[in-house]
Amino acid sequence: MPENEYDLIIVGTGPAGYTASIYASRYKVKNLLIGESAGGLIGESHKVCNYPTEDEITGLELAAKMQRHAKSAGAAEILDRVVEISSFDNGYKVTTQRNGTFWARAVLLSMGLRHRKLNVPGEKDFSRRGVAYCATCDGALFYDKTVAVVGGGDSAISSAVYLSDIAKKVYLIYRKEKLRGEPVWADLATQRDNIEIIYNTEVKEIFGDKFVHSIEVDPSYQGRDRLDVDGVFVEIGVEPGNELIKPLGLSTDDAGYIKVGSDQSTNIPGMFAAGDITNASDQFRQVVTACSEGAIAARGVFNYLSKHSVSLDPKLRSKVVTTSK
Amino acid sequence: MAEEKREGDKKVTVFSTPTCPWCVRAKEYLHENGVSFEEVDVSVNRAAAMQMVDKSGEMGVPQLWIGNEVVVGFDQEAIDRLLNIK
Repeated sequence: MPENEYDLIIVGTGPAGYTASIYASRYKVKNLLIGESAGGLIGESHKVCNYPTEDEITGLELAAKMQRHAKSAGAAEILDRVVEISSFDNGYKVTTQRNGTFWARAVLLSMGLRHRKLNVPGEKDFSRRGVAYCATCDGALFYDKTVAVVGGGDSAISSAVYLSDIAKKVYLIYRKEKLRGEPVWADLATQRDNIEIIYNTEVKEIFGDKFVHSIEVDPSYQGRDRLDVDGVFVEIGVEPGNELIKPLGLSTDDAGYIKVGSDQSTNIPGMFAAGDITNASDQFRQVVTACSEGAIAARGVFNYLSKHSVSLDPKLRSKVVTTSK
Repeated sequence: MAEEKREGDKKVTVFSTPTCPWCVRAKEYLHENGVSFEEVDVSVNRAAAMQMVDKSGEMGVPQLWIGNEVVVGFDQEAIDRLLNIK
């Protein structure tokens, strides 16, 4: 098989992608992982406490372990951005930003999700100037300051707990009346003296000059419309990015998650999806469910390739390389 | 911290935190391309953190100082251009 040709290209280097790769390698499916950073969003978690065998591990460490495992099982990996996926001959052509083009008979989409934005005035203007989306990345810069964390799920609560060790004060602002994260995280947050949880409240605007200095909340809190904060961590969930998905004609649900069958196959032959980006696992987006979907997808790919023992025509492929350049 | 140089004696300094995935990626990328750099952990070095924020006007990591230029985030294109990585 030529160097740039694979049985399977896995787009996304998170738990679903790495697990799929481990299984694919054991099925002797030649696979290539392409993703922007090892671990994807899980790399941003300061503590993962619900992955079997790991009482407590940082997301970064867990991702590194998965990456090592996938590579030792036989995966090739390229850290780069995929800019286009298109049908080609009996398979797919995957184009990266910097490392050229690769071909495969099957593709697994496991590129995960991206942070949802608040979409309030000031958010964009003060991005990286007090507005942040990753507490483990940028939290250290808010030592002894006052910050707001917006959201009420696991990411928001765990970020608030993480930041409470660094910042002087943390407001956890949630628009509903009860936190929706794991009760263990909620207990931790309520036990911290420097975390103040504000329920039924929304952030309407972010203000600052050089850096963020305050936020407007609705309804007002303890008689104040504005709270003085040095930072705003937006942790209101994640959403699929549609840039790669849309042109492919993949079937998605209303929220943009890829619809998959029981073997993680999509509506397009030879194209599979796994992890947070799908509508599977009862939409319970966890590391362990992403791994599970990755494993099922690898078997699905193996079965697909076994039934469709086609190969890519090297002459046709060369022709396209020439014309695309 | 050892001072190391490359590409027209451009000194490279990486400001990072141990828990930031893009910091890890940036440092890996420099290693992959044989670029030596000075590393500053802004989670413990508060003075350096303030210096970094003052210079770039941005509160996020990683930040790279390449010669007199500042690169905020893992901006591979900017890093390639400033260090002549092909």
